[in-house]
Amino acid sequence: MNRGMNIVGGLFGAGFGFVLAAGKLHDYDTIHATLRFESFYVFGLMGLAIGVSLPLLWILERRGTETVYGGTLSLSRSRVERHHIVGGVLFGAGWSIAGTCPAPALAMLASGATYGAIAVVGLFIGLWLRDRQLMTANRAIGEGDGERSTLPGTKTLGAR
Amino acid sequence: MTRYRRGLTAITLALSVRRNKDPGMELLPDQLPWWIAGPLLGLLVVGLFVVANQPLGASGAYVQTIKTVRHDSDRVTWRVWYFGGIFVGGLIASILGPGVDIRQGYDAMSAAGWSAPAIGIVVLLGAIVMGYGARVAGGCTSGHGICGTAQRSPASWVTTATFMGTAVIVTFILTSLTGLGDVVMGGGQ
Repeated sequence: MNRGMNIVGGLFGAGFGFVLAAGKLHDYDTIHATLRFESFYVFGLMGLAIGVSLPLLWILERRGTETVYGGTLSLSRSRVERHHIVGGVLFGAGWSIAGTCPAPALAMLASGATYGAIAVVGLFIGLWLRDRQLMTANRAIGEGDGERSTLPGTKTLGAR
Repeated sequence: MTRYRRGLTAITLALSVRRNKDPGMELLPDQLPWWIAGPLLGLLVVGLFVVANQPLGASGAYVQTIKTVRHDSDRVTWRVWYFGGIFVGGLIASILGPGVDIRQGYDAMSAAGWSAPAIGIVVLLGAIVMGYGARVAGGCTSGHGICGTAQRSPASWVTTATFMGTAVIVTFILTSLTGLGDVVMGGGQ
């Protein structure tokens, strides 16, 4: 189970990285041309990715599809809270300044751009800083609807 | 151990083959059209839900990598494999496409007259703010922007609209203040 999931994770990660690099989403110019409205590329790509996955996930959820490793397929829909806005503003600013986002930064490094490593290190520092801040304050770290740290029913998957 | 060594040799070989290749012999176009890359990404999102009931996020993979390094009891190891997979996938696409070109990156900033250390500092600070913001918001461009919105999550739609809007405004400010946009660039059709 554990090993199978690791392989699945590696494969899906590879597919993800492949599409990002093939679409040059790891390229500063691709991101900035879109953000300056000189190109439609990133908007079109994200729009179609959502356009394909949203209806399919909706249908699969309604059918109560059983997944291979994670029980019945379940989608999460959270209410909007303040931290979504605050985090969104910070993330958007950083995204524009660094000209890359978390997954494309890895693909950038893989394409041979050494400064991709600086972006990856910076991301680690930023994520860790927030973790540390919340841990010091003894507050729970909330995850968004696009992130899940556990598989249903297997709370500590991968732990010894 | 020999398995890893063999893999390493294969990668080195692939890289050296690329260098000797004629330009224009790439298996992949310079940039996959968005109407192909977009649906492919959408199918990957659906696929990971069908197999594992998990979203195709990215910032969470960084978090799990930190947790794994720290040996936290609630770490999720498969996300580390996924993290490594993103790098390997990017490497494969680069080898099949334009080739792995060892360079600094951020040509637009160099073209605007910024020194290499200045670019490094800007990228580092930008990435720290981005990472911090992703953890505050609970996701990034893939987590909230694609997977969350595809789950019809109000929180994700609002987060995505917020970071998109902010990025457009900050890019506008950067362009006006620093002349970054005055340089005509390749990329992004």
